[in-house]
Amino acid sequence: MSELVRSPTGMVGLALLSVVAVAVVFGSVLAPYDPQAFHPAVRLTGPSAAHWLGTDQFGRDIFSRLLTGASSTILFGVGATALGVLAGSVIGVTAGVVGGWVDSVIMRTLDGLLAVPDLLFTLLIVTFLGGGAGEAMLAVAVAFTPGMARIARSSVLSIRTREYVLAAVARDESQAYIIGQEVIPNAIGPIIVEATIRVSFAIMIGATLGFLGLGAQPPSTEWGLMVAEARQYMYRSPWVVAVPGIAIAVSALGFNLFGDALRDAFVTRGRR
Amino acid sequence: MSPAYLLRRLLAVILVLWIVTIAVFAITMVLPGNAAIMILGEYATPDQVAALEERLGLNRPAAVQYFEWLFNLLQGDLGMSLRLSLPVSEVVGSAFANSAMLAATALVTVTVVAVPLGIFAALKRGTKTDLGISFLAYTGTAMPEFVTATLLLVIFAAPGNPLLPAGGFIPPGESIAGFFHHVILPAGALSFILTAHIARQVRSEMSDVLSSDYIRAARLKGMRERRVVRGHALPNSLAPAVAVISLDIGYLLGGIIVVEEIFAWPGLGRLLILALENRDLPVIQVITLLLAMVYALTNLISDLVIAALDPRVRYE
Amino acid sequence: MIDLHSNRRQVVIGLAAASAVPAIGFAQSGTPMQGGTLKISHSTRIATLNVMQLSGPAEYPCVDMLFSGLTRIAPGRNSADPDLATSWDANDDATQFTFNLRQGVTFHDGTPFTSADVVATFEAILDPDFGSPARSVLDMIESVDAVDDHAVRFNLNSPYADLPISTAHANARIVSAAALAGDLNHLETKPNGTGPFKLESYDSARITRLVRFDDYYKDGQPYLDAVEMHLFPDLAAESANYLSGNVDVMLNVQQADYARIAAAEGSNALRVPAGRYVNVVMRQDQPPFDDVRLRKALAHSVDRQLLVDLVLEGLGRPAYDNILSPEFQYAIESPEIPYDPAAAKALLAEAGYPNGIELTMVASNRPAIRGQVAIAIKEMARPAGFDINVEAMPHDTYLANVWRKGNFYMAYWGMQPTEDATFNLLLTSTASYEDTAWFNEEFDELVRRGRSTSDPEERAAIYAKAQEIQFRDTPYIIAMYQDVLTASRDWVHGWTVHPLNRVFYVEDVWLDRG
Repeated sequence: MSELVRSPTGMVGLALLSVVAVAVVFGSVLAPYDPQAFHPAVRLTGPSAAHWLGTDQFGRDIFSRLLTGASSTILFGVGATALGVLAGSVIGVTAGVVGGWVDSVIMRTLDGLLAVPDLLFTLLIVTFLGGGAGEAMLAVAVAFTPGMARIARSSVLSIRTREYVLAAVARDESQAYIIGQEVIPNAIGPIIVEATIRVSFAIMIGATLGFLGLGAQPPSTEWGLMVAEARQYMYRSPWVVAVPGIAIAVSALGFNLFGDALRDAFVTRGRR
Repeated sequence: MSPAYLLRRLLAVILVLWIVTIAVFAITMVLPGNAAIMILGEYATPDQVAALEERLGLNRPAAVQYFEWLFNLLQGDLGMSLRLSLPVSEVVGSAFANSAMLAATALVTVTVVAVPLGIFAALKRGTKTDLGISFLAYTGTAMPEFVTATLLLVIFAAPGNPLLPAGGFIPPGESIAGFFHHVILPAGALSFILTAHIARQVRSEMSDVLSSDYIRAARLKGMRERRVVRGHALPNSLAPAVAVISLDIGYLLGGIIVVEEIFAWPGLGRLLILALENRDLPVIQVITLLLAMVYALTNLISDLVIAALDPRVRYE
Repeated sequence: MIDLHSNRRQVVIGLAAASAVPAIGFAQSGTPMQGGTLKISHSTRIATLNVMQLSGPAEYPCVDMLFSGLTRIAPGRNSADPDLATSWDANDDATQFTFNLRQGVTFHDGTPFTSADVVATFEAILDPDFGSPARSVLDMIESVDAVDDHAVRFNLNSPYADLPISTAHANARIVSAAALAGDLNHLETKPNGTGPFKLESYDSARITRLVRFDDYYKDGQPYLDAVEMHLFPDLAAESANYLSGNVDVMLNVQQADYARIAAAEGSNALRVPAGRYVNVVMRQDQPPFDDVRLRKALAHSVDRQLLVDLVLEGLGRPAYDNILSPEFQYAIESPEIPYDPAAAKALLAEAGYPNGIELTMVASNRPAIRGQVAIAIKEMARPAGFDINVEAMPHDTYLANVWRKGNFYMAYWGMQPTEDATFNLLLTSTASYEDTAWFNEEFDELVRRGRSTSDPEERAAIYAKAQEIQFRDTPYIIAMYQDVLTASRDWVHGWTVHPLNRVFYVEDVWLDRG
């Protein structure tokens, strides 16, 4: 952890993520207005003392919408990644531990799914699931699963031949004990690093789906949807698109920086 | 690389594509609504829907529909688009060409900009220049295409005094200048995130190479810095750059969907969204297959290139 | 009625007033010039050119250019003008109509137009297996006979004075008998009509290009050499392209952009009040919507003027749950329904919900106006005790799961040419798109009688009664009528706007790029 804090990228990432985390946890408490309330008299205005980041086409307060939307936007990314990591790890660890023809079948199928680009894959699944925030999250999770499974499998394979595992096998420990006590704790590092970086992708894909009308739906305050709804008004008041757009970029940046610092910390420790 | 290895890889690609067709077909069958309902839309009468289902053959068993489609495909017949009543080959063919032009423009831009930028940053490691490039690269990778595209529209295509058209497409056969005029913004939106990502990767690969033992050895031998970079560092970091670019093509193929929709570019992405909205199965199948094929083949080719560039890599 | 109050080049055309003026806009200045290509931008796809089936906003102008009908809706009002029929007459009880056909007309492929084509077209429309949307407004036709090569007779099973208006239906344009006997797939992509323009190329993802048909029956027309329909799926990109002069006409202008486009140099924004509306569908064969008090409570929970201001940017009028907008000849004044949360709360309590009610309202995301109205109603109805959960969804999911199945959702309809067509579209028990389960026999009977009555006074009384039943029962909530908006560049002459948004008269358009 100390390396993490010492690296400048890690610190900037951590700072950005703290801001985002505050918005996720306390957003609806901090919001000065009801994010859905109309203020018809002040539609599409820029920043002012009353509305710090201006108002949208219904006169809703953008700052309040941004704060309340943090949870749906960020938790989407975290949730989709967590689901994908969980499913991917189970599949990958199974393939790595069991080996043999099970491994081959799983790997060939994963290769098949990996051949379809992420966004396209997500789009296919979400169209057929029917669109909506929950469906979109599930779709991103499914799209992430093959990639995570591959990473989980390869870390299991590299650990399987390490001394401590071989020692456990020599001690005649049960298969379950070896997986639970030796393989998983040691394989989890690379998985966490990969997952942190993936969260930023998940946030961006989630926002893109919201933008295409296939993710979160009005009147949700999800940020991608905020951009989509506001595009019609962007030449009248650039604030309505710029604010949520920048918010998406800042959160994704936070996860990227933090993930990279995390990876560096792991790699350095590995080298020592 | 042995011919047997190549053959195995090609067979794997075909297997993968077959799995993709089954998956796509299975998903469309399970879900509610069919092409007839989607095509006719909200203002259709039930009579109209029934008549169209009959005409499109949607009331036959699912397995019959799939195997008939597969059988025809193997004979080179891609079928008819349910929505557009035109042969799929015709519909997809021109869209594919248009997308390829956009993707190629973006890819060339990305390569020409990102690789030198990454190398430059690595050479200036630790300086303000490096920090600036890294900052830009990090910001770039955090901007989804729809955000970049929207910002580009506001900046370059704002009504009043637009520097560039806000969308549209002119075939290069009609006017080369017109084509480039229209391709700048969509290609820019597509390139942004990839340039950032690739520059970052190239920088980190190049940094690793520059701090490696043999470069240090070369320096200790008193070799001039320029020769160290040109003769040793560059060739050794090219292979990883190719690997990164080829992996990013998957991302590019996804990004194209959004960018084409925003800039009215008549390519595969737009066609795919139309086909998805209309449950136009033959078109969805062929586009998915095509994109998966492009992706798989790019990876194969990049492996070949990497093997040629880096004598340490051997595929068996 | 020309209204120049808000912006320098904004023209508002009132239906009643315009009926005295044949064409609208700046068309009449100067002598038409020959030649040129007109570029029209649109934001929805031209997914088919099958005149018998299509229903897309950008498909209607194509039909109007490619095909002619027996009759055509007159500019600026809801009456029938001659088109392929030069004249017509009916027997005394309006059960038999004879149309005399124009001579010397040819299809785009050079074959002559005769009565056989008319008979084949209408027989196809009336065939239920063919599933034409025009059938519901023409199903009083018993049979169609060719009197000779240039006259046809329609025999009706009930009197119907408005038949010549119904034959002007966009999906009832004349197709050649040979096309209907051949491969029907060709209707989709190889249209063969008698209209002023013929198809040159059709690319539903980009451009549809039509070129002048030299043998069009109006001498010297069309003036244009070609018309190109350019698709811009992104609305922001579409208006930016129009404003930079890359296209000449913007087929439909969004409310959000209208003021900007009207104010722009060299741009003429056109606007006409129309009977377009978003209606709240409430299924009345199941609780809670079977209780009229609940429906009325919701009606009182909508601030209609605010809705016009917020969602339509003022480009429309408040409506009070009347499916007939004031443009209709027999529309009666709708009593104003004030925004009154207290009254709504009381009605809701009477209906058995003293503590309010939670409801889920579905809105498709296309066009965006459905979701906007839903969100606005949600907010406005909250003080009365309505806790409305808006479930917005992609249009395809809506079509598959909710449309005509759900019990509370947003529908969206364009204006119909006649009272009869409007009622039979949605409100009668046998309506084409019946979705309320309202089933009011008295209303059905009135609509039936209205159709077969030709005396205007008697008819007015019947339709007034039908509208009053509608006010009493509130089968739908219709909160506003949306104006039709379009725009053209200065150098375009003769581009018009019609409340039905179905006729365009492109053969009258000419360019003077000076």
